[in-house]
Amino acid sequence: MKKIFLLALLYIAYFTSFGQNNEGVVYFTRTTYWTKLNSTLTYLSKQEKERMSYMFGGKDDWANYTLLYFNDNESKYVNSEEKNDESEGYAWRKEAYSIGRNFTKNTMTDVIEMLGKTYIVEDSLKLPEWKILNDLKEVAGHICMKAQVEDPIKSQKITAWFAQDIPSQAGPERLWGLPGMILELDINDGAVTVVASKIEFKKVDKELEPPKKLKGKKITDAEYQGMIDKFIKEKIKEEINPFWVIRY
Amino acid sequence: MNRILVLLSVLLLLAITQLYAQNPTRISIKGIVQDTNSAVLADATVMLLSPSDSSLVNFGNANEKGVFEFRNVKNIPYLLKISYVGFLPYQQHLTPSPTAINDLGFIKIKPISQELLEIVVKTAKAPLSIKGDTIEYNAASFKVPPGSTVEDLLRKLPGIEVDGSGNIKAQGNDVKKVTVDGKTFFGDDPKAATKNLGAETISKIQVFNRKSDQATITGVDDGSKEKTINLELKENFKKGEFGKITGAVGTSDRGVLRGNYNRFNKKEQFSVIGYANNINETGVNWSDYGEFKGNNTFSSFDNGDFGFGSGGDAFFIGGDDDLLSSFNGKGFTNNLGGGVNYNYTNDKTKLSTSYVYNQTKLNLDQNQNKRTFLQNGSFSTLDTSSTVSFRANHSISGRWEQMLDSTNTLITKANLRFSNSNSAVGTRQEYINNNDALQNRINLNNSSNLNAYNLNGTAIFRHKFKKTGRVFAASSSFVRSTTDGTDNIRSLTQFFEASNPNDQIRAIAQLNQNANRTLTLKAGLNYLEPLSKRFFWENFYNFSNNQQNVGRDAYNGLIETQRYDSLSTYYENQITYNRFGTGLRFNKKGINLSLGVAALRYDLTGKVYPTEGGNLTTQISKQYDAIVPNFTATFNPQQSTYIRFGYGINVNAPSISALQPVIQNTNPFYITEGNQNLNPTKSHDVNLSISRFNQSNFTSINLWMNYNYYLNQVVYNQTVDANLVTRTRPENMSGAESFRTNLYSSFPIIKTKWTTNLSVNYNLSNTPTLVNSVLNTTNSNAYSANIGFSITPSDKIFVTLGGNYSINNIKYSIETRQNQNIISKGLNIDAKWSFIKKTFLESSFNYTGYENDRFNFSQNIPILNISVRRLLMKDNRLEARLAAFDVFNKRQAITQTGSQNFVTYQQAFTLARYFMLSLTYNVRGHDAKLKKNGNMF
Repeated sequence: MKKIFLLALLYIAYFTSFGQNNEGVVYFTRTTYWTKLNSTLTYLSKQEKERMSYMFGGKDDWANYTLLYFNDNESKYVNSEEKNDESEGYAWRKEAYSIGRNFTKNTMTDVIEMLGKTYIVEDSLKLPEWKILNDLKEVAGHICMKAQVEDPIKSQKITAWFAQDIPSQAGPERLWGLPGMILELDINDGAVTVVASKIEFKKVDKELEPPKKLKGKKITDAEYQGMIDKFIKEKIKEEINPFWVIRY
Repeated sequence: MNRILVLLSVLLLLAITQLYAQNPTRISIKGIVQDTNSAVLADATVMLLSPSDSSLVNFGNANEKGVFEFRNVKNIPYLLKISYVGFLPYQQHLTPSPTAINDLGFIKIKPISQELLEIVVKTAKAPLSIKGDTIEYNAASFKVPPGSTVEDLLRKLPGIEVDGSGNIKAQGNDVKKVTVDGKTFFGDDPKAATKNLGAETISKIQVFNRKSDQATITGVDDGSKEKTINLELKENFKKGEFGKITGAVGTSDRGVLRGNYNRFNKKEQFSVIGYANNINETGVNWSDYGEFKGNNTFSSFDNGDFGFGSGGDAFFIGGDDDLLSSFNGKGFTNNLGGGVNYNYTNDKTKLSTSYVYNQTKLNLDQNQNKRTFLQNGSFSTLDTSSTVSFRANHSISGRWEQMLDSTNTLITKANLRFSNSNSAVGTRQEYINNNDALQNRINLNNSSNLNAYNLNGTAIFRHKFKKTGRVFAASSSFVRSTTDGTDNIRSLTQFFEASNPNDQIRAIAQLNQNANRTLTLKAGLNYLEPLSKRFFWENFYNFSNNQQNVGRDAYNGLIETQRYDSLSTYYENQITYNRFGTGLRFNKKGINLSLGVAALRYDLTGKVYPTEGGNLTTQISKQYDAIVPNFTATFNPQQSTYIRFGYGINVNAPSISALQPVIQNTNPFYITEGNQNLNPTKSHDVNLSISRFNQSNFTSINLWMNYNYYLNQVVYNQTVDANLVTRTRPENMSGAESFRTNLYSSFPIIKTKWTTNLSVNYNLSNTPTLVNSVLNTTNSNAYSANIGFSITPSDKIFVTLGGNYSINNIKYSIETRQNQNIISKGLNIDAKWSFIKKTFLESSFNYTGYENDRFNFSQNIPILNISVRRLLMKDNRLEARLAAFDVFNKRQAITQTGSQNFVTYQQAFTLARYFMLSLTYNVRGHDAKLKKNGNMF
């Protein structure tokens, strides 16, 4: 009896939410675990990695907040104004960072401040090579399925959890293209996690409007990836962590 | 074998393709999604995956009737996957279709038990992994007490029941088999594994239906399935240990023994460390210290002093930092030390405890030449001294940080320390007067011993309110310290200019018994209120109370019952500090402004008695009030560019030693006496810093400036009598100022191969002092410049080169003829070369020159160190090193200083040339390549 009731409740919740769940905003918490991130650097010896995790283990996380606006056709991912607990009333300049995706026109418009310059990456969308796995888990009240993709330039293995009941291809960071909204990312075994804390279904037309004036150097996605690739290779050669400077 | 399989499958695939050569190249795939009761599942997600690697090829949604269709897709094998909330993901292999439409008909997908979904996925927040029929639980998500068995863990899992005798049921069926990593554990009894294995060793629990043993053996699937549980062990159980030990022997009886050992798991860290040497390593280096303290290394920055500027005395939080090597370059030391450390960390608790012991014996011989300027000339002092001293410390520390709940955090820490020290100093001092004649000679033989104990504790509590940004914090701390010591003063003085034979010689033999007791109590409150998104209001209160009781009994050193009342005293000092402050913060996208004001009061009282329990002779009681402003502004106009400006007034109480009304006559020619009438020092502090870092080429430039103007600064005024006896006493004086600036830049010349850094400093100071009641202002202008290159032509050769030059021009208003320049210059070259695999040549050459035009002093010191090391054994666990230190045998410590009305240069002997052979065994192995940036990550 209880089971039937639960099932009925779930059905009701599912169908009532369905009409509205194609437009809104997802609140994400993006946490960087520095020792895990540093452990992915190839030039560090096993000994250095162990010493690092021994000295900083359990006290190395840094959180900030991001927002993903979405509707049927497009999405925009930006840094949030929200501050973390350590800020104590101070606020630092937010770097220009806005990831725009238009799924109907199949285009990207990304504004990324990087290496001292603002770049506007305009290109057509290329679907990431997702692999779909069989695990289920709950993120922010939604049952999600697991998918994986690799970023060969940043040497990242990325695990994404996408909601089965939010029919949007949108996702945080520069990721997209799953049969449901991506609500959680785990990059390289927890070096960086991006986890949805809350989803609000509402009209977000205003937030999705492209910035009026785009100031910055226009480049293609291939040029952007090439620039990152060159920078990472150079810094790894110098044995300097490139991710102090560029987004992981 | 694998290759053959691949080849076969390729051939098979080719054969199939041939066979179905007439297959259409593009097809449609369609079907209808239903649940097991044939109810339609509208909007189910339908995916086409590549069967080889599960990559996503296409996806869509079923319509409101559960119908889906993929049109115009390639006719290749697919893995069809359907997912729907509350149902098991459905999978079906699709082979290429002979017809243009591949109609899959009704596809029935099974629901997941709601109970399981709710508990595993929602409550435990653990992924529920589904592989065909297998359901996998993540063991870490189900909390069991330490020491629990797998059986206890299974009882916690939804869908699994364990009865009183340990029989297991999964989804209602008896579990016939329990395997560990797929292997049968202890025969056929499923309970053998569950009752014997510890829950903490398990990472995953998989429940599935397995073919019966009969079917497995015969290969004939009789259709009967057994519920089976497989336990997957944790990969490394997150446990480890590491450690190293070094032993070395050298010429001139030099030796070193040092080692450390660490054990850790996910929550606990345990370490021991020890060292003994006679090569001036008074402690361990920074990286060994970090390994010893583990994740507690950086906790000593806990701050309980709230508000801006320096509020009274900084919180004294003693740790075991004295385990860190801190040798000042002078003398010869024998060192011994060690400690144990234990840390426990989980999500809410961070606990650290440690015990440390260290001792150092110092033998120091040094010469000093000091010239003191008076209103009508100058005199020189030539010192030759020899010191033997010993100190030993025991220190026990603990720190406990507890997240009481999501809004409250409490940090408590305590340190108990015992130390004892003794020293014997023999000094010969000659006083040369203005006419270059030897006026006095003194032979001093002083010895002392001291026992001290110190106990301190601190608690800091923080509360975050529901309203974002509203924070309350409170702190309190205490320090209790006691020192007991005796000074034995023996001196013999010859006055060569005295006409009266009775005045020509004077001997002092004195015994001082000192007992000091200090109690400091501190407290602080802080409250931050967000007024809006941009404005925050900060309020703080600081309190401290410092009570000090000092007793000194001075006796005739030969007749110990004869008390020198004039040199004996007993007094009590009390400094109470109260400060209340308030401030407004504004922040907006890279602009942070903070404007505040604080009102503070010092209450100073002093009581002097001739002896402990005697009648009060003097009483001083004073109050000092001040209102201090504070302003800071930071700008972050573009990426990696920061500008900071700050202005504030700091008020600092005089040091306890300056307040002591005790006559220090350990050197009869340099007598100091405290002053209970001192007022706090007030200083205006203006600072500006600009830094810019170019992320793309890693060029950085930093400019930093600081200006201070002092009111009521505590300065040591001097009176020098005809016998060249200096009496000095701290007094308040205004007008001192200092300005310091530094410009630093670093940039690459050849990317990845050659970087350069440049640094320029300028320091100005004007210090007034009274010398024989005449105002002397010492003006010092110090300039210095450094240039350095770091060159890495290949992974096998690293070279750094550097040069520096500094000149300090000092002017004395009292005696302008004595204005002088103190110059030091240096050159250093470091090279590391991995000339054969696992073999390294490392050398450093330092050349330093010191000059002073007034003293006609010029000394150049070249120091060359060379070593060769080779890594041996599997994983490079053993390192053998042969090293030559100070090849030219020139090492000595030279210090040149000029301030107030004097200038000195000091020459101290220290460990010079020796050769050493060392062996290090490291459990983890040594690095087989050179590191470019030390410990930078």
